[in-house]
Amino acid sequence: MLAPTAPSGLRADSGHAAGLRHLLVVPTAVWTLAFFVLPLGLVTVFSFGTENLITFNVSFGWTASNYAAFGSALYLSTLLRSVALSLGTTAACAFLGFPLAFFISSQRPRVQRLLLAGVIVPFWTSFLVRTYSWVNLLQIDGPADRLAHGLTGHHLQILYSPRSIAVGMVYSYLPLMVLPIYVALERISPDLYAAAADLGARPWRQFRRVVFPLARPGLIAGVIIVGVPAMGEYVIPEILGGGKTLMVGNIIVGQYLDVGDYPFGSALAVSLMVILMIMLFALRRVQPAVEAS
Amino acid sequence: MSLRRHPVAGALALVVVGFLWIPILAVAVNSINQSSLMVSWGGATVHWYSLALHDPNVRTGLTTTIEIALGSTLVSLVIAVSGALWWRRAPARARAVYDAMVYARIILPEVVFATALFFLFLKARFPLGILAIIVGHSVWNSAYAAVIIQARLVGLDPAIEEAAADLGATPWRAFRRVTFAALLPAIIAGGLLTFTFSFDDVVTSYFLGGNSATPLPLVLFGMIRFRITPEINAIGVMVMLFTVTLMGVAVAASTLVGSVGRGRRDALAELYGQ
Amino acid sequence: MNGESSVRLSGVEKRFGDLVAVRSVDLDIAAGEFFSVIGPSGCGKTTTLRLIAGFERPTQGMIEIAGREVTGLPPYRRPVNTVFQSYALFPHLDVFENVAFGLREARVRRAELRRRVAEAISLAQLDGRERAKPRQLSGGQQQRVALARALVNRPEVLLLDEPLGALDLKLRKEMQVQLKDLQREVGVTFVYVTHDQEEAFSMSDRVAVMDHGLLEQVGRPEDVYRRPATPFVASFVGLANRLAGRLVGAAPGERYEVDLDHLGRRSAHGPPGLAAGAAVTVVVRPEDLRLAPATGPQAGPAAATVIDVAFLGAHRMVRLDAGALGQLVAIGQGQSTVVPDDKVVLSWADDDAWVVAAAAQP
Repeated sequence: MLAPTAPSGLRADSGHAAGLRHLLVVPTAVWTLAFFVLPLGLVTVFSFGTENLITFNVSFGWTASNYAAFGSALYLSTLLRSVALSLGTTAACAFLGFPLAFFISSQRPRVQRLLLAGVIVPFWTSFLVRTYSWVNLLQIDGPADRLAHGLTGHHLQILYSPRSIAVGMVYSYLPLMVLPIYVALERISPDLYAAAADLGARPWRQFRRVVFPLARPGLIAGVIIVGVPAMGEYVIPEILGGGKTLMVGNIIVGQYLDVGDYPFGSALAVSLMVILMIMLFALRRVQPAVEAS
Repeated sequence: MSLRRHPVAGALALVVVGFLWIPILAVAVNSINQSSLMVSWGGATVHWYSLALHDPNVRTGLTTTIEIALGSTLVSLVIAVSGALWWRRAPARARAVYDAMVYARIILPEVVFATALFFLFLKARFPLGILAIIVGHSVWNSAYAAVIIQARLVGLDPAIEEAAADLGATPWRAFRRVTFAALLPAIIAGGLLTFTFSFDDVVTSYFLGGNSATPLPLVLFGMIRFRITPEINAIGVMVMLFTVTLMGVAVAASTLVGSVGRGRRDALAELYGQ
Repeated sequence: MNGESSVRLSGVEKRFGDLVAVRSVDLDIAAGEFFSVIGPSGCGKTTTLRLIAGFERPTQGMIEIAGREVTGLPPYRRPVNTVFQSYALFPHLDVFENVAFGLREARVRRAELRRRVAEAISLAQLDGRERAKPRQLSGGQQQRVALARALVNRPEVLLLDEPLGALDLKLRKEMQVQLKDLQREVGVTFVYVTHDQEEAFSMSDRVAVMDHGLLEQVGRPEDVYRRPATPFVASFVGLANRLAGRLVGAAPGERYEVDLDHLGRRSAHGPPGLAAGAAVTVVVRPEDLRLAPATGPQAGPAAATVIDVAFLGAHRMVRLDAGALGQLVAIGQGQSTVVPDDKVVLSWADDDAWVVAAAAQP
């Protein structure tokens, strides 16, 4: 999973040192409880309330009306669009990222470092600026449009549409997919490739029977790290969607900051969380919970 | 093994890596492009840079961002280091809870955090602004830092503390001279990473900044949404250079000063929490 | 052994850039033979093994297995299987699937596959552990899985790259016996690489000694030990007392007459072709060096002082300061009465002396 196991030699502890040690967890505990658990709990509770949009008074009728509003076509379609974009982004990242990670892991160390830098360094630059750059690149008469026009004679009218959001998302999330796959591949001892070949497996069979199963945990980690945050993406659809194509993230922000309908916004946020938890559970089922490193 | 050197994978790899760099290069090129429409080349100029550097919004935004990033980094490191040290000797159940909380804070979309905290502050009548943003950033920043520092801590041979005790060091001195010293690269790497994340953040800052605090990314965001000028590219290039330098230092710190035998892969695994 | 060639290397050379790992090796291993390759680190023995397996292509030369040329063939097309030093068990597969791997690649039918895997697992004494994952097994068990996984495919040749290196001494000794019995039972040609000479000698039909990419000598263990062909083999294999001298000439009964420094003329056996007047080294194995208490006060040229006596279980090893002859070693039960600082007189039987060309000065 995420945190590796500690060596057992550190378990024994004397009395007062142990008491002092418990203090160490206080900052984490306080912060997590006060600013993570509490607010989320609050939001969940309020998602069952109703609000008077004129007086901004929230009252508790314990109604599920906020959730019922999802039934409306507008919100449902937005939700589905978010899921589709997230899945599509994840799939694209996986298909582009896996071969890339594989290629990197099979190079000499010096070349590996270079390629990894090539993948990671863009990730360190302001993603706001990079996303904005895509507006330029994808606009009518921009470089991409000119290229497409030159090659096919058609104009590339994808800016401010779900497709441009998809491009932006794949672009931003690709490094997040490549890295865990790379790490998993790196861990595979070269002897295993040799052993598989020795036992009669051709390169493709080596991949299918040995490499892919061993890299799969990395792939799943990548899918989680891309798919889950992608569902709640706000900035990319805002900039590349031109304000008109909305994902769940945009609606939530809109409800909270523009409309002020906190219960409804809360309901949206809670629903998003629930969907994500379901996704997470499904994915963890596909891989054993504890992978021995 | 012939499997590992397939030419198709190589070509695809280079295309993809190139794809990752195109927007960055486009921004850099446009930052010195005289043509404000940014669709064609109008000659070189540093006009946009001087515009950006003299823009009062940008200057305020920068100072605000730096304050926030420093504050959030400090808080996050305190949380992460103390948590990791506790984790070492914690019982399995407590560890599981801690790990789940760290994982949740990394995975959950920022929008959910930001709205929940916004709501909390609203109800608690806590003023929005720099302090609120620092709190907000620290919630998820501390998780990233925790992963890096914890990975490093676990990789340390427990025998080194015993060796220090054997050589006459009290527990406190053993900690300071051995454990903490060994942790320092991870702390530096974690700190620089959280600084960078804070520096770049949009969503949490948007929600928790209120009217008083407008960090640089929000200045940029506003400019992007309402008045697209090439000044953005200049600001973008400067910001990118800054964050890349920071992260470069972070990586150098965590790999070069790393313990014997741990390679780049392990450092990456730390950064990645695998 | 029925005399057919199982593995033949002809003029095989392997370069890695400027480094020549294997130079011009000619080797002929008979079918059913237990053949070991020993040598110091970096001598090229592992590279040679990898060349036979197909993980490396020779820069020059030809490799044949069971009479068929395989030089250009990748490993998955050669009738060879390898037991790796690290075992290289597939961590995501259980014991059964690991052993079955090669059979699945060969598309062996289900019933036969099951039977053969069960048989191999039994042979490796791993019954009951079919569903275990490698990390749940001990080192010795993992080693046996690696062995079973290789043998189940009935290869022409089994290559073993220091397979017992990670095991403790007792386990290693047990495994050596088991491997030898297994090889005899199965009849497959074993090519075994190890740095442990004793291991190689106790298990093999023939041994090859390599140094810096060259085959120094190939022969039965006893021949390599008693009649080393080159100075390197003389000093690498076992312990040796080396006495410098000059060759006088050939003597009757396939012997040579040697003029030893400080000790005068002695005769010794040796390889054919040594030239008169050449600088030579006479090798006397520690177990052939006799010690007798020094009776008189005059120190003859063959006098020595005992430095220390080490108890090795079955024998005592005596280190001697022999003055101009340097430090010498004697081993045997007959030395049980000496103690440090004793004065002794050294002697040996001519039959136990072996002469080789002197090693080139480093």
